[in-house]
Amino acid sequence: MMTAESSPLSTHVYNTCDGVPGAKMDLSLHRLDSKLMIWTMISIGTTNEKGCCHGLISQEAFTPGMYKLRFETGSYWESLGQTSFYPYVEVVFTVRELSQRFHLPLLMSRFSYSTYRS
Amino acid sequence: MSAFRLQQLKGQLIPETKIPTMAGSPSPLTTHVLNTAMGVPGSNMTIRLYQQDLSTNVWTLITTGTTNDDGRCPGLITKQQFKPAVYKMHFETAQYWERMGETSFYPYVEIVFTITNPDQKYHIPLLVSRFSYSTYRGS
Repeated sequence: MMTAESSPLSTHVYNTCDGVPGAKMDLSLHRLDSKLMIWTMISIGTTNEKGCCHGLISQEAFTPGMYKLRFETGSYWESLGQTSFYPYVEVVFTVRELSQRFHLPLLMSRFSYSTYRS
Repeated sequence: MSAFRLQQLKGQLIPETKIPTMAGSPSPLTTHVLNTAMGVPGSNMTIRLYQQDLSTNVWTLITTGTTNDDGRCPGLITKQQFKPAVYKMHFETAQYWERMGETSFYPYVEIVFTITNPDQKYHIPLLVSRFSYSTYRGS
């Protein structure tokens, strides 16, 4: 089982409306096939009680390219009995240097969100 | 040209926010790009607005535009086109940074949002740097 320390890519979802981790949110990681120009799903995951999700991809599989993290934010808010302006959030990013680790948090409310690379 | 004549011409120009769309009224959907790394408007950024077909889920391009010096892009959609649906605003962020000789972590930014009441006004700003971005629903 991939540990948090060995995973080159991780995320952390935070519910800024309620000031709590965005727990139990489904998400998926995709890679763009640069020749066919289509997205291929690499893995799916769900954030834990702390809003974190590790183990989306192994170091070996994490090759340079364009990736997309898709967060099922609409479903998350529905499970809380709420609507949301965003049916989902997709963050598309480019990986050039594999020696680094990538942490892509998502801070979100029903009507806003932000992300950054750390 | 004299300063007086310049002042006369300036008074005859319609402020960009009031430029009507093809249907004769301002777009009910607006955006504003801000470059938070440099503290300036995100000008000359290409933006595309798409509308999703409810039955087929296919995206249809509604408008292609470029942000002005103020980081805004008037005339995104007409009131007639603006119906309840899922929309997507695509910002060519990497292209924007490349023009300034910089790379960006994000090749582009897409914000997908649901319009249930098209009678309201919606403002979708994008605050962007090379390694972060944020957005919110404004009005």
